[in-house]
Amino acid sequence: MTGVGIENVLISLILAAVALAIGFFWKIPVQKNMSIGIIRSFIQLIAVGYALKYVFDLESIWLISAVILVMILVGSHASYSMSKQVRGAFLISFAAIGTGSLITLCFMLILKIITFEARFIIPLSGMIISNAMNAAALAINRLSSDIKSNRLAVETALALGKGKRESCRRFQQQAVIAGMTSILNFMKTVGIVALPGAMTGMILAGAEPLEAVFWQLIVAYMLLSSVTISSIIAVELTLTSHFTPHHQLKLKS
Amino acid sequence: MTGPDSAEPQNPILRAENISLEVINGGTRKNIITDFSFDFYRGKIYNILGPSGAGKSSLLRLFNRLDEATGGKISFNGKELNQYNPCRLRRRVGYLFQIPYMFPATVKDNLLYVDPSLSDDTIVSMLLEVNLEPDYLASNVEVLSVGEKQRVAMARLLIMKPEIILLDEPTSALDEKNSSLLLKLVKNKVSGDGITAIIVTHDSRQALMFDGETLLIIKGKLVEHGPAKQLISHPKTESGRSFLKGSGE
Ligand SMILES: Nc1ncnc2c1ncn2[C@@H]1O[C@H](COP(=O)(O)OP(=O)(O)O)[C@@H](O)[C@H]1O
Ligand SMILES: [Mg+2]
Repeated sequence: MTGVGIENVLISLILAAVALAIGFFWKIPVQKNMSIGIIRSFIQLIAVGYALKYVFDLESIWLISAVILVMILVGSHASYSMSKQVRGAFLISFAAIGTGSLITLCFMLILKIITFEARFIIPLSGMIISNAMNAAALAINRLSSDIKSNRLAVETALALGKGKRESCRRFQQQAVIAGMTSILNFMKTVGIVALPGAMTGMILAGAEPLEAVFWQLIVAYMLLSSVTISSIIAVELTLTSHFTPHHQLKLKS
Repeated sequence: MTGPDSAEPQNPILRAENISLEVINGGTRKNIITDFSFDFYRGKIYNILGPSGAGKSSLLRLFNRLDEATGGKISFNGKELNQYNPCRLRRRVGYLFQIPYMFPATVKDNLLYVDPSLSDDTIVSMLLEVNLEPDYLASNVEVLSVGEKQRVAMARLLIMKPEIILLDEPTSALDEKNSSLLLKLVKNKVSGDGITAIIVTHDSRQALMFDGETLLIIKGKLVEHGPAKQLISHPKTESGRSFLKGSGE
């Protein structure tokens, strides 16, 4: 089934209505969320669809770059709102997500895996940035809470003449791992538990399964790269934000 | 600010001049330490005595620059603290926390953490110095009692060969036997190696036990100072009298 049109979407709304009806009869208190979700997803995706069509048709480097920047800013804000307790969380997130995403994208372009075309850049950036965002938020939170709850351990190391980095080494490593857990789990179970969304979409749209698999592998390695870079940068900067330049622990009180 | 005896020509190893510490907590400023000045000399024991919450730990943390004073000047060997690399300074001005923290590993690992090049002989002699059998080296720190942990922490501290040791309530978690072991160790280090010991306590009996010049701190202020026996039995100030009435004896 290629050539899907708005009529297919409207028909599939019947499924949503069935879910809504079941919720109503079983008195599950989610009708409100469900209705909002149905309308919201419809409007958001249709709007994005038109926006993408516009960007794709224009094929302007400036417009594509602007879209990427907006995605990075939105991702940074989301990561910030998950880790507000950390000093400078927005800038940390922005640096981590931005660097991880841009380095990865540049490599994809330099190695000629993709060309600078909106239909490659935009969807891949979306995946890269949303994964980098989750990784950064998890890494920032993990390190910050570990430092707080292990204050005596950190300060004992400082008092024995160790620098901030060495005093937090254990927690730094754990935080990088925390940021990378979901991509590592993804790579472990991919294809066995479920087919990833990107691959499913391509197959639905009529691509050869093998081509879909190749793209999926590229996506997985690309995400691994951006998530690793973002996690490490997030951890480095979070560490720095918890100390003065004189290796003194500073906790927000 | 005159020292307790005639050793005056000597320069102080640690000099605090009008230091203050102010923290901002939830929008309100709070003075933890106010205008503290004192000279500490080499090879002596000092007690910092005062009620809980007086700011004793906060003061001690300024001396090895775990925290930064917000006003005044602290000098070590004649040079201001900020002239030193903080990590190197902390090896010369050792700090023993009230609750000893052991890195999750063996006793030996905890000692090697400070100096990985230590020979086994040195490690064993360090342990003997703090009254621990060498069998402990391979023990995981989890099996140690608080008193034993305190002694390992002390050994770990002494490996750095500090010139000053800052001890925060070192005997508060220890029984009589461990307390007197620690007392003996500190006195040996001070008289034998010329280390300066600055010991924080809220307990006037502990100050008497360690003896030495005693500084009474109340509400972040140095109220009075003098030899332990004299200060504790004949406090000169009203606040000193009222604190000492409620503590010790
Ligand atoms: N970082 C901080 N922020 C706010 N208040 C603090 C901070 N550190 C210590 N205090 C306060 O300073 C006072 C002195 O604390 P402390 O130095 O631990 O006293 P002591 O060791 O004499 O019992 C206490 O009232 C404590 O609540
Ligand atoms: Mg204290």
